[in-house]
Formats: sequence, C-alpha cells, structure tokens
Amino acid sequence: MNDAPPPVTLTRRRKSFFQRASFVWLIPLLALAIALGVAWQSYTSRGPLIEVTFANGAGITKRQTELRYRDVAVGVVEDVRFSEDLSRVVAVIRLSKSVAPFVDADSSFWVVRPEVSARGVTGLDTVLSGVYIEGAWDSEIGRFRARFEGQEDAPLIRYGKEGLVIKLRTTAGGSMTDDSPILYRGIEVGRVGKATIAEGGSNATADAIIYTPHEQLISPTTRFWDTSGFTFSVGPSGAEIDFSSFATLVGGGLTFDTFVSGGGGVKPGAVFEVFEDAAAARNSLFNASEVEALEMRVIFDENISGLAVDAPVEISGLRIGKVQSVSGMIDADAFGDERVRLSAVLAIQPARLGLQESVTPTGALRFLSDRVAQGLRARLASASLLTGGLKIELVEVEDAAPFELTVTEGVMPVLPTTQSEITDASATVEGVLTRVNNLPIEELLKSAIDFLESAKALAADDNVRSVPKDLRELLAEIAAIVSSEEVKNIPVALNSSLSSFETLMTQFEEQELANKLVEALGAAAAAGQGITASIEGVPSLVERLNSVATMADELPLPALVERLSSLADSADTLVGSEAAQALPDEANAALTQLTATLTELREADSIANINAALTSARKAADAVTTSTEGLPELIARVDSVAAMAETLPLPELVERLSALASSADLLIGTEEARALPADASAALSEVTATLSELRAGGSVQNINAALESARKAADAVSESTRDLPALIERIESVAAMAQDLPLPELVERLSTLTESANALIGSQDAQEIPAELKQALDQITATLSELREGGAVKNVNATLDSARRAADAVAISARDLPSLVVRIRDVLNQAGTTIAGYNKGEALSRDARDTLRDISAAADALTSLARMLERNPSALIRGR
Amino acid sequence: MSGEINGPVPVGLTGDADAAGTDARFVTAREMGVAGCTRCGRVWPLETDVCARCGNTIVSRDRKSLQRVWALWLVGLMCYVPANIYPMLRTRTLAQVQEDTIVGGAVELAQHGAPGIAIIILLASVVIPLAKFFVIAFLAVSVERRSAVSYHQRQLLYEVVEYIGRWSMIDIFVVAILSSLVQLNALAAINPGPASLFFALSVIFTMLSAQAFDSRMIWDAQSGREETEKDE
Repeated sequence: MNDAPPPVTLTRRRKSFFQRASFVWLIPLLALAIALGVAWQSYTSRGPLIEVTFANGAGITKRQTELRYRDVAVGVVEDVRFSEDLSRVVAVIRLSKSVAPFVDADSSFWVVRPEVSARGVTGLDTVLSGVYIEGAWDSEIGRFRARFEGQEDAPLIRYGKEGLVIKLRTTAGGSMTDDSPILYRGIEVGRVGKATIAEGGSNATADAIIYTPHEQLISPTTRFWDTSGFTFSVGPSGAEIDFSSFATLVGGGLTFDTFVSGGGGVKPGAVFEVFEDAAAARNSLFNASEVEALEMRVIFDENISGLAVDAPVEISGLRIGKVQSVSGMIDADAFGDERVRLSAVLAIQPARLGLQESVTPTGALRFLSDRVAQGLRARLASASLLTGGLKIELVEVEDAAPFELTVTEGVMPVLPTTQSEITDASATVEGVLTRVNNLPIEELLKSAIDFLESAKALAADDNVRSVPKDLRELLAEIAAIVSSEEVKNIPVALNSSLSSFETLMTQFEEQELANKLVEALGAAAAAGQGITASIEGVPSLVERLNSVATMADELPLPALVERLSSLADSADTLVGSEAAQALPDEANAALTQLTATLTELREADSIANINAALTSARKAADAVTTSTEGLPELIARVDSVAAMAETLPLPELVERLSALASSADLLIGTEEARALPADASAALSEVTATLSELRAGGSVQNINAALESARKAADAVSESTRDLPALIERIESVAAMAQDLPLPELVERLSTLTESANALIGSQDAQEIPAELKQALDQITATLSELREGGAVKNVNATLDSARRAADAVAISARDLPSLVVRIRDVLNQAGTTIAGYNKGEALSRDARDTLRDISAAADALTSLARMLERNPSALIRGR
Repeated sequence: MSGEINGPVPVGLTGDADAAGTDARFVTAREMGVAGCTRCGRVWPLETDVCARCGNTIVSRDRKSLQRVWALWLVGLMCYVPANIYPMLRTRTLAQVQEDTIVGGAVELAQHGAPGIAIIILLASVVIPLAKFFVIAFLAVSVERRSAVSYHQRQLLYEVVEYIGRWSMIDIFVVAILSSLVQLNALAAINPGPASLFFALSVIFTMLSAQAFDSRMIWDAQSGREETEKDE
C-alpha cells in the first residue's frame, strides 16, 4: 500500500476571478449593455412633456390621442388629469423631439372633433379614430414653454391657409356671423374668425383672413358687407327671393368689393368696417373716407333757396362730393356791387373721380383744373321736384368763356359757374290757382240773389196781385159777349173764315213757306250747336248777365204792370161798351155770311183744299220737329239776343212800352175802336148763317168719323208717350244736377217767391176766376145748343168733317211725336251735358239767362200785341 | 477508506437495488476514478481529456456549470421583465389599436368569460417560466448548500424543468400564428408586440440555463455531506 501514490491533497488553488469566471457571463453583460443602451437611447430621443389645458377632455385618451402638426403625429397624450382647482382638463403631451424646439409661446393647440355644418363636414376622420389634438406653431425656434392654454376652436390661421389677416368691425346697421366665409364673386376667399363684442357693446370685431392668392383684392377702399340671409321682394315681375348661397343663407357670410380705384397695399391687422348691404357700403365711401377731401368754393350770382349742406355734388350724374357749407357772400371789391351772393364750399372726394395715379386732393385739383380749362362749370340744378332741393352739377359747357383755375397756397380754389337749371313747378301751379281765385263767383252770386230779390218784390207787388181781378172782370165781359145773340151766329161766320184760312194755307203751300220755316229752324239748330261753343265764353256771359240782371233789377216793372193793368181796364171798358155788346149780333151776321161762303166752298171741293191745308200743317209740324234740332243754335242766338238785350236800353224800351200801352189805351178808347165790335157783330151774323147750314147736313156721321180720327190721334199720342219715361229720366237727371246746386239762399228766395205766388193765387180774385170761367163755359154750352138747334147743323157737319180730316192730320203728325220726343231728349241731353259742363255758378247763370229769355219773349209778345192792336183792333175781340 | 476505493469497483457494489429512490449511499464514478462521457456514455479514466469514441470533452465535474447557469438565468430573468411590461399582441382594428400585455390579455380573457383559456395562458406564460426561474435558482443554490429536499426529488425537479421548459414557447407560437393569419390590411391586423421577442429570449435563456446545470453535482453534495458527517 506504501508504493501507492501519496494521497492527493486536493488543495484548491485560488484562481483569479477572471480565470475562474466563465465566458458565459458576457451574455448577461451584453444583455445589460443592450438594455441600458436602448434605455438611454429612448430616453435621449424622447421629447419634452408639455401640458395643455382644455375646458373639457372629450375624446382625449391617455397614450392614444395624438398631437398632430400638419396632420402628422408629433406627440401623444401621456396623461389626462385635472388642474388643481378642477376647472380645466390638463393633457400631458409627450412631444416629439424633432418639433420640440419650435413649440414656443406662439403655439396654439385645439382639439379636432368631427363637425357637421351648413358649409360641410370637417374632421370626419376623427369619427373612427377618435379626436386628436392639433397644434400650430411657426417655423422659428423659440424659447421652450411647457404650459399652454388650449383653444376651443381651430384658430383662423393654420398651415396651408396663409393669407392677409385683417380686423373687421361692424357698423351701426351691419352684422357679422363669426366663423363664416368671406366670399368674393361667390368664391370663398377668406374667413371670419371668432367675433368679440367691443366694450360697451357698440360693435363687434373679429379677425378675418383673406387667403394668399386673393389678398391683392383688398385695398384701403375696400368695403365689406353682410350677405347672410335672403331678400324677399314682390314687384311687377312677381315675387323674388335672392340669397347669395345656401351656406351664407344658413351660416352667414361676408363679401366685399372695391368701389373706387387707388389705395395700395393693406398691412396685416388693418381695420375694415362691415356694412349692412352693398348700397350702404357704397355710400359709406363718404362717411369715413380715408382720402382727404378736396375743398373748393363755388359762388353763384343767384341767391336761390334750396341748397343745403350735404347736398350732392355730381359730375355726369355721378356723385363725387357734397356741399360742406353754404353762406352768403358780399364782396364789393371782387364783384363791384353790394349784392349778396351764394357761396358754397364743396368737399370733393378724389377717390370718386376715378383717378388712377394719385388719389389725393392735389391730384383731384389738377384733374379738375384741366377740366375747367376745357369748359367744366358748376351750376345749380333741381335735385327733387317735390322738395325743391338743389344740388350742384359740374357740367361741360361748350363755348365757355376761358377760365383758369387759380391755385394759390392757402386759398380755396373757386370753380366757375354757369346758368342754373331749375324747374319751378310750384310757381306754375300757384299761377293757375291765382287765376281760379280771381273768378268773380261771389259777385255773380250776389247779383243772382239781387235779381231774385227783385223778382220777389215784383210778385209781391200789389199791382201784380190785382191782375187776376182785372182778368176776372175781363172774363166776365167776355162771358157777356159770348152769351149775346150775335155770338151764337159766330159758327156761321167761322165756317166762312175757315175757307179763307184754307185758301190762305194753300197760298202758304204754294209759297213753300214751310220749307222756309224748315230752313229757319235749321239755322236755329246750328245756333243750338253753337251753344256748346258759347259755353266757353261763359265767364263773360256771366258778367253780362250780371249787368243785365242789374238792369232788370232797375227796370220799372211795377210801373209796367200798372200800365198793363190800365190797359186791361181799358179793354174792359171797351168790351163793356154798347158797341161791343152789339158785336155778337154783328158776329152772328158775319158767321151767317161765313156759312154761306162755306156752303159755296163745299160745293167747290173746298174739303179737298182743307185737306191739303192740313197736310201743309202736318208738314209744318214736321218742320217744327226738325226745327227742335236747331234749338241749341237758337239758344246760342238767344244768348246773343241776351247779349244784345244787355246792350239794349231796356228802361227806355219799357218806357216806350208804357207809352205804347198808353197809346193802345187811347186807341181802344177811340170811337173807331168802339165801332169795331159792330163790324165784328156783322161778321159773326154771317158765321151764324153758315153754321145753321152746317147743322142741316148729316153731321152725326162726320162726328163719328171725327171721333175716330181723334181716337187715332190719341193712339198716336199714347205711342208717343212711350218715350216719355226716358225723357223723364233725363229730366230727373237734370233735376238731380239741379239738386246738386247747393244754393240755400237761392232756394230761400225761390220759396219766398213761391209764397208770394201762393198768396197771389190764394187771393180772393184768383179764386173767383173758376166761377167766372164756368159761367163763360155755360154761355158757350148755351151757344152750342143754340147752334145745334139752329140751321147751322149742315155747316157743322161739313166743319166736323174738316175737323176729322184735321184730326187725321194731327194723328199723322202725332206719329212724328216719338221722333220729336227723341229730339227733345237729345236737346235735354245736350242741356244735361251743358249743365254738367258748368260748375255751380254757371248753372245759376243759366237760370238767370232763362229768366231773361222769358222776359225778352214777354217783351216781344207785348210788342206784337201792341202792333196788332194798332193794326187790327178787332183782333182783340176775335181773339186772333 | 481511501485504500478501499482503489481499483475499479463495479457500480452498485456498495449498495443494492433496493436502495434505489432513497438517500442510500452510492459510490460515484468519480470516487472510482472514472468519468463518463456525457454524450456517448463511455466511461474513461479521470485523466482522459477527450472521449476517444465521440470526441466529446470528458469532464468529471463541470466546475463552471453553476456560473453558466447563473449567467443564463440572469439573462432570462432580464428578458422576462420587459416581456411582461411591453405588449405581447398589437391588435389593430378599424377603429382602434389594442395592445395587450401577457397578464393583461389573460385578465381580459377571464373578464370576457374565458377563464379556462386565461388559466392556460397564465400557466404557460407566467407560472411555468416563473417556476423555472425558482427551480433553477433553487437547484443551483442547493448544490452548494444543504437542502431539506432529498437528492432524488431535486433530480426529479431538474428533469421536469428541463422537459417542460420548451412548452413555454407555446405563447410565442400562438403569437406567430395569429400574426401571420390575421392580416386583413385595413380592417384588422395582429402584430407581435415587443414583449414577444423578450419572452422568447427569456424562454430560450432559461432553457439554456437549465441545460447548463450539471445534475451530477446534486449527488456530489450528498457524498460530500456524508463525508462531513463521517468526519464528525
């Protein structure tokens, strides 16, 4: 066992650490190194933390919500927490190192959320991916800042939307919708940012941006106005709705335009005003124009009222300025007299002159002085016909006297003037009214009233009232005459007279007297046509009538009436004389003779002659009908007669009439006149004889025939009445027109006149007239009975036969009555239009003229009566 | 005693078969002056450096084994930390991107009513790797210090760890399959997160660590302790 090797002492040799250490330790060392390296790298590569506060953290998620710049993620939200007082949400964002240097105090952050509005949808991608935070900062490295205030909305200016930033301020009527587009010709060229209300609330201001290619559209004279909403108008072309675009209709919007040239660039931050509409914006150029106005003086020789401060100054209808001040001016040295001249200071806007180069007062003055040298002159012109306001126009005057605009430093240049052009409408109207005012309407009325007063006095005169009494006495006398024997013989004499009449008519026919009458009446018709023309001369007529009325007023009518009265008395005594009493006897004898004559006549185809005579009468009636057509002309003539009557020395005439009446009185009072009745009596006795012969004939048949004819005549008359309603209508309308004449005083006069007439009628004498008449009729009846008993029957038969034929003729002529009625209606029409053509005063004058015409007719009748009496006193008894 | 062990002694002579599985004293090859080739199993004298049959290096006891175990274990542990911190899966759908860590994903699965799958994932990805770290560390420590655990149990632990270690890669497997299958462009996509790489590294290094452990040292500790017991 000893040769065995000694036991090995296992001494463990201390080796060094590196000798003992395995190489495998390099692996964890390497891993550690890698880990540390990665950690270091990630630590150094990560950017700083910033804190952005928002009002709310809707959609912001920790580690997920990104921070984007130009839509590229440059950071992520690492934490979302509240601020210390819980008022805000703080998003802690890890910035990417590459952008960190740029995030300085200018940076802004906002949360991009999906938004749907009238202008479109934005942020749609955030619907799925969630919101993100958008950051904006400039490209300059600034001092780092860790805390930011997040914005609620996207700022106006961001990447890709560079442009000119301006400020907009609302004016009094203008409004503005914030965050709305700015349109130019319908294209969005900018955007309005968030608006803020100024302190005191007087206006609202907002930042706005005009995107880069369009900023050249903005100049200092640019005006903005609101285009939001729509305008609705109803005009002749129908209803119109106008709005700029749907987006502006809902969301509002602005547009702008540059109305005048010049200006130049606009610096960022320039303030522009927003107006209500385009018109206000255009007009605003004068309200707050940036360009200084050119002041010029104009001195007008005329001093016409109407030129006010702020009146427009126009050149070729374009408003270029306004009147700044108006004052009077006296400068004896400059003008050579002491007259007050109108001096106006004009403020002319150089911008409105359309100057291209220099929009300055100096440039405008240079321009204007050039134009003045070519003939530019200032003048006053009517700005408004209604208000009479004036404006100042600058017009080119050809052949203008050369004028050089003197430009001196510190002295206001004076523009030369020319003839003013003012239309004075008010002066013309005033002249018309003055002439109307000068019409003597009141005098006319006064004359009419005076005239009526006189008429009333006439009617109320005792002499006039006594006329009925005289008449009654006259009738009593006549009754006595009629009841006398001689009168009973009158029919016989009548018979013979009729035959004479027949021959006379035949002669008339032969002489074509009717045609002449027609001609005369035609002339009268022409005269009627002329009345319309004569109306034009109404004022003068009225004046004449006035004077005529005055003259009529002055007429000694009562005296005339007295004369008439005495004339009647004379007649009375004449009739009452014995000779007159004997007259019936004579008349009887005359009638007997007449009867004899008629008998002879009958035998000698006298009836045929009578027929012919009646035909002639019918023609005459026709002629009368046609003559009515000539009435207007006749009226015109009457007018002229009235005019002549005016000139006539009426008082003198009346005096003459009086004298005439006296003469007549004397005449009647003469013995010859008294002998007349005796002749008449003889004539009547002849008539009586004739009538007795008439009686002998078969008169009954003739009477029948006569009645038949009368019936036909009545038919014809009834036919003619058919047109009466229309006629009445006309009359009614005329009456209505007359009713329209509000002349209470006249009515009063008329009523008093009526009262007088009433009193006249109501007088004892007037009431006694019927009794006298009845008595007279009784006498006539007795006469007739005697006639029947006498031998005049045959003659009467013949006479009645003639009467029948005459009635036939009347019937024929009555047939023409409708046409006559039509004519009368036409006349009334004409009268109606005439009345309508007159005003109220003229209607009065018409009445006056009618009255005068009546007076004229009465005068004529008196004249003819007197003449006849003079010539043939027996006519008084025979009544022819 | 030292004389008794001179010369070749058949293995097992000092004990009998009945002693298997117990802590009965066995004579080690080293005590008998031989060393086995770990690759082909041929027994060579201790002095032999290289196995003449397979060319493997003959080492009776790898003294640097523990160092390797610890080093690889450390790397594995280092990789395991980010593997749990970083997301394992990045699921991108139309609306959002979801990133799940291993534990987070398992918890989410459990919350969505799949506790079974959650347990499997937790077992495969959390419990087993962690157990491996502990077991390897325990084994490495127990080689040099006393342990209440019997040598057989320790040997068993080692074998289990070495066997089961590969199954931890099932997580990586699932991630790889999902990533390759769910690629629907815009609609949805699943990508492996950074944790998958670390997790894979962690599994690899723990496996290497377990392999680096020389299980023969378990038994050296037994003989060593008996020696000290005898010396006393």
